[in-house]
Amino acid sequence: MPDVKSFIDKMGDRITNTVEKPLRLYFEVPAEHVKEVTGYLFNELGCRLSTATATEVYRGIEVLYHFSDDNSGQYYCPRIVMTDKENPTMPSITPIVQGAEWIEREMNEFWGVTFTDHPKPERLLSKDHPENLDKPLRFRRLS
Amino acid sequence: MNVNGTTNTVPVGPFHPLLEEAEYFNIVVDGETIVDIDIDIGWMHRGHEYLSEQRTFTQSIYLVERICGICSTSHPLACVHAIEDIDNIEIPLRARYIRTLVGELERIHSHLLWLGLAGHFIGYDTLWMWSWKYREPILQMFEIISGNRNHYGMMRVGGVAQDVDPDKIPILIDHMDEIAQKMDMIAKAANDDPVLKSRLVGVGVLTHEDAVNYCAVGPTSRASGVPADVRKSEDTDAYSLIDWNVIVLDHGDVYDKLVVRVLETVESIKICKVCLEKLKTVQGPILNNVKEISPGEGIGRYEAPRGEVFHYIRSDGTNRPIRHKVRAPSFVNIPTFAATCKGASLADALITTASVDPCYCCTERSLRVKDTGSNVLDVDLLELSRIKTKVIRREIHGV
Amino acid sequence: MGWYNKRLAKSIWVFHVSASPCNNCDIEVLDLLTPKYDLERLGIKLVGSVRHADVLLLSGIINQKVAPRVKQLYDQAPKPVFVVGVGTCPSGGSCFNNSYNKVMSREDVIPIDLYIPGCPPKPEAMIEGVAKLLEVLNA
Repeated sequence: MPDVKSFIDKMGDRITNTVEKPLRLYFEVPAEHVKEVTGYLFNELGCRLSTATATEVYRGIEVLYHFSDDNSGQYYCPRIVMTDKENPTMPSITPIVQGAEWIEREMNEFWGVTFTDHPKPERLLSKDHPENLDKPLRFRRLS
Repeated sequence: MNVNGTTNTVPVGPFHPLLEEAEYFNIVVDGETIVDIDIDIGWMHRGHEYLSEQRTFTQSIYLVERICGICSTSHPLACVHAIEDIDNIEIPLRARYIRTLVGELERIHSHLLWLGLAGHFIGYDTLWMWSWKYREPILQMFEIISGNRNHYGMMRVGGVAQDVDPDKIPILIDHMDEIAQKMDMIAKAANDDPVLKSRLVGVGVLTHEDAVNYCAVGPTSRASGVPADVRKSEDTDAYSLIDWNVIVLDHGDVYDKLVVRVLETVESIKICKVCLEKLKTVQGPILNNVKEISPGEGIGRYEAPRGEVFHYIRSDGTNRPIRHKVRAPSFVNIPTFAATCKGASLADALITTASVDPCYCCTERSLRVKDTGSNVLDVDLLELSRIKTKVIRREIHGV
Repeated sequence: MGWYNKRLAKSIWVFHVSASPCNNCDIEVLDLLTPKYDLERLGIKLVGSVRHADVLLLSGIINQKVAPRVKQLYDQAPKPVFVVGVGTCPSGGSCFNNSYNKVMSREDVIPIDLYIPGCPPKPEAMIEGVAKLLEVLNA
């Protein structure tokens, strides 16, 4: 069995709002600790980054990384919430996990999330696109 | 690396004779040697997100089926796993065997398809014709099971949509025996073939370290010695009830990727035979009727022929997902080109890029979301129709 | 054109244009060339360059990014060229009809002469479609 308990103890107060389900662990991480936590997951626990999901919620823009422990099937999902909806900014984890490059570019393109220190901050899917796709996945709420 | 001091850029695509799909490579070369490769995608982007605003959970299964024509079991299967993960819905035993059977048949047909295309890419069309010839019985089996050759529509939340007719099982087993025989022949041919070996051994090596760093999945990573397989680590479907092996090789070159796929096909045939035998005896319902999905989030995944398909679904208690994230295996496998192509010769770039079995339709599937606010399209239409009514009324009554 | 068309009908060379499909029609088109269906016995051959093509097989909804390239391909093809839309996507848009990335007017991008609907169409249906095209050319 994966040692979720010791992971939670180790992270201490860096993680909050922990939700535990069978083989799934969701928790919230402040943007300043995200490199530390993802570095621990990737380098120490040997997890693989499956992908990341950006969502617009009432509090702001949320980015949820999915780290998979392939030996046990356990998922660790650090959640970062940015309250600034106009210019959401968070540090990029691509310098730590090379596999995050494309997904961060995609989130930047579709959700307008800026990842600081990203090695290649270009558009992924709509480079040379004739129409300027402006964050097509954001909610278009009528006020 | 920069021998002559000058580099040139070779643009390839978006329409080129190599792949069926459109994609654009900018290959920076120094003489014959590749210095850098830049991939421009988005030619297949269809924007599934906007479409699913009107779709319910059941309807979205059919939408994700059309993300990619080859993985048309893997995406729905991962999608229903995600929905079942929200509520921990139990699946009847017979449905688990049917799901496994369909998933493994898809793996056989996809690997045979890749084997043929790989042969075509290295100018070995005989291999293409042979492996596609033996792929046909699989498509016939699909037609017997589901009624369609490609988009099967078999998955439902809580089970499967169609049962396998008990009268048809002997026919399916006959087909399976035939394929097993032919597959043995192809496996032996691939092992002995001097053409394949001289062309593929040592080409496009993805090291173990790179496979881990790029988070590669599926046969691409398993050929580099990463023993990750979702079917083993996740207790879904009938995989835990059947005895089978994960194929892992160490060299990471194109030849090892080919051998991994061939051996996996042999394993899949084994699993399919067990499933068909079990379907003779295991009786019972095939669908748990799921009335509603409670609020929450769920992660579902399945080992597609190309690697792990990942679906994340967030529900707010209504019958539609708030957020549905899809990550196809090629999305993480294609960036490894940057590691495998550098330093190779331009002629080898072709088979190296093809060796991860890239599926650009999957890669550019995009994510999906539901507008939790009001539905823009409907409101706009309503407003338009009101304006039109006013205009007509004015014309008629002169008001 | 009658004389030319009759010559053309003897051996059609097709070029495959995939304009944001789901890949399935493309695979079925390739399937037509392999031993089970073997369209080459009718003189139909898949070519790698649009400059050699008599027929363009178009699959998929045409998205906004690929549309200028598809138009370019059509312009580059030697005329007369016939465009066959394979699958439901070119004819009706399939389930992607409301996508924000789909071109508004497909007819402005490429004129389609023959539709083969189906998601995906069975290879037999595709053969029938091609046979109908040959019939028209021979008339």
